[in-house]
Amino acid sequence: MSAEIEVRSLEKIFKMGDQVVRALDGVDLIIPAHSFTVIMGPSGSGKSTLLYLVGGLDKPTKGEVLVNGKPVDFTNDINLALYRRKTVGFIFQSFNLVSTMTALENVSFPMWFAGTSRAKRRQRATSLLEQVGLANRAKHKPTELSGGQQQRVAFARAMVNDPPLILADEPTGNLDTTSGQRIMRMLHEYYQQGKTVVVVSHDERMKQFATHVIYLLDGKIVTEQEFQNASSFALLDDEMEEGEQP
Amino acid sequence: MRLVDLLRLILENLSRHKGRVLLTAIGVIIGTAAVVVLVSLGIGLQKSATENLWGISDLTRIEVNPVWEDMYAVEAGGKGDTGSSSQQKKLTPAALEEIAALPGVASVIPLDYLMGWGQLTYGKMEYWANFVGVDPEKLPYLELEAAVGDVDLQKGTVIIGSQVPMNYYDPNYRPGQEVAEPPDLMGQQLKLVMTKYTSDGEEIKKTLQLRVVGILEETQGESDWSMYVTMSQLDEWNTWFNGGKRINRNKDGYQRVIVKAESVEYVTDLTNAINEMGFQAFSPQSMVEGVNSYFMVLQIVFGGIGAIALLVAAIGIANTMTMAILERTHEIGLMKAIGATNNDVLRIFLGEAAGIGFIGGLGGAFFGWLFSKAFNVVATSILASQMQQGGGFGGGLSTSTPPWLLLFALLFATFIGVASGFFPAVNATRLEPVKALKYE
Repeated sequence: MSAEIEVRSLEKIFKMGDQVVRALDGVDLIIPAHSFTVIMGPSGSGKSTLLYLVGGLDKPTKGEVLVNGKPVDFTNDINLALYRRKTVGFIFQSFNLVSTMTALENVSFPMWFAGTSRAKRRQRATSLLEQVGLANRAKHKPTELSGGQQQRVAFARAMVNDPPLILADEPTGNLDTTSGQRIMRMLHEYYQQGKTVVVVSHDERMKQFATHVIYLLDGKIVTEQEFQNASSFALLDDEMEEGEQP
Repeated sequence: MRLVDLLRLILENLSRHKGRVLLTAIGVIIGTAAVVVLVSLGIGLQKSATENLWGISDLTRIEVNPVWEDMYAVEAGGKGDTGSSSQQKKLTPAALEEIAALPGVASVIPLDYLMGWGQLTYGKMEYWANFVGVDPEKLPYLELEAAVGDVDLQKGTVIIGSQVPMNYYDPNYRPGQEVAEPPDLMGQQLKLVMTKYTSDGEEIKKTLQLRVVGILEETQGESDWSMYVTMSQLDEWNTWFNGGKRINRNKDGYQRVIVKAESVEYVTDLTNAINEMGFQAFSPQSMVEGVNSYFMVLQIVFGGIGAIALLVAAIGIANTMTMAILERTHEIGLMKAIGATNNDVLRIFLGEAAGIGFIGGLGGAFFGWLFSKAFNVVATSILASQMQQGGGFGGGLSTSTPPWLLLFALLFATFIGVASGFFPAVNATRLEPVKALKYE
């Protein structure tokens, strides 16, 4: 299952002291189902704000977000929590793993809130850790993992409830080149499974994966591009095989 | 979120900062232990007071007397009634049946007393007897137990109270002489000399023999000083005092009646009902209720003093939870991002606060119980040494820690935890996920 995102006249206004900041200024946007969208733009352009609003982590000042034609209910905390639990998987720049939990527990953490049994949580998290190449790190705590490994754990966590939409905020921002490429490939693989992936990034390499690229400036969309990019994946895969470290 | 997962998460979160949790819990331990010790002391004092008051602890007993003529007249006079002996309500067999029919009455035991002088002699010693006539069939309801012999009354026999032998005295005793030991009266024949006077002032004596068949256990009550004989025996003696005129119970009634209630719960209502019937009913229970309400206030005051310590502990929990939430703001943002509801977050943090309260309550209940026991040991030894020195406080200064108090302390401490953690936990639920995730 995939998710089509429609953003209508989305505004987000912050007050910083006496100053009013328009982080998003009437954004209209359609992110097609089964697409890999990269949102780019300079710092303060509203990229992350847009991502968080789409993910239901923040509430818009005005406008609405529709997922598969159904508006996200920002007024009801329970509905919003269920939306985040079932529809969205988040990946953050700073990984946001719980330091006291093992990799396995971190991956399965979203399933705790879904009321999944311990055995099923364990089975699903183990399978995902295998998928991201960290089966042998299941019992390690975040401090015992490298940055790349931590982000892979975070990626597995984002996938654990099998959401139709993955939202990634600068997922390669804290990683070295090789680890960043690996995360990019994983996101691409998830897209290839028929899901929708939206990535906020400064990393120009991310465009090689994108089916859509959106440029934001001062809270407004300035450019939208659509790509046919099969060849670039192959190129990147070759680079990965040469440069990747275990 | 499943309960088992919630509990596991709470335990894991609490074990993250064992030192901080322990320090916070110590505050709760001190507060809970203070409440347990002080309330135990209050309960102990209450128990000691009621037992000292009534010794027998027989709170199901109601003593009923007829309203005496003069008292009736005064009371009735106030209402504009002339009042007379004919209107006086007597404890007749019919009235006794009426009382027996009241709900909750286990037994009605009529008692009567000697209407004249009766002097007992044993060897050279004498005693002015307080005879109580009782129907042998009703005797078991008085719950008197024999220390020596038995309580099987028959004509010509007597059961005596524990203090009776101590009160035998030598009428020829002179200062400087050695005081005679109390006689061992069990199984002995006592000589009873009854004396009455004719209208001419002539003294008439009657001498009888009575055999002691039982000496009662001490009750610290009226029975310690009484000598029980059968009602028919007493009737015979009173008839003699009355110049041969038989006692008519339907007209004269009994001098006193003991009503036994089926349980303590009935006593107050029965006492009121019997009073309304026109008799004077009195139960130790009514006094015990007064004493109980006094000690209830004392326990609340003691508990309140302990609660101050708990209040300080509650502030400690609130502080710890506020700090924990501040430290884990990022984590709260993450939990919300991955699908936790506000309710999930609330339950996690309330659970942690309750956990601190529970740990503190468990420790406090244990140490409170331990200190109460230690207090008893110390108090007993101090009292014993004071008694040896021939003075001191004879009453029982001791604590009593019933199991319900320990359970209450545990639950109360847990509740304190929940209450203290409530506002920090609510604040945690109010955090916007995006702001929480960006919090540094």
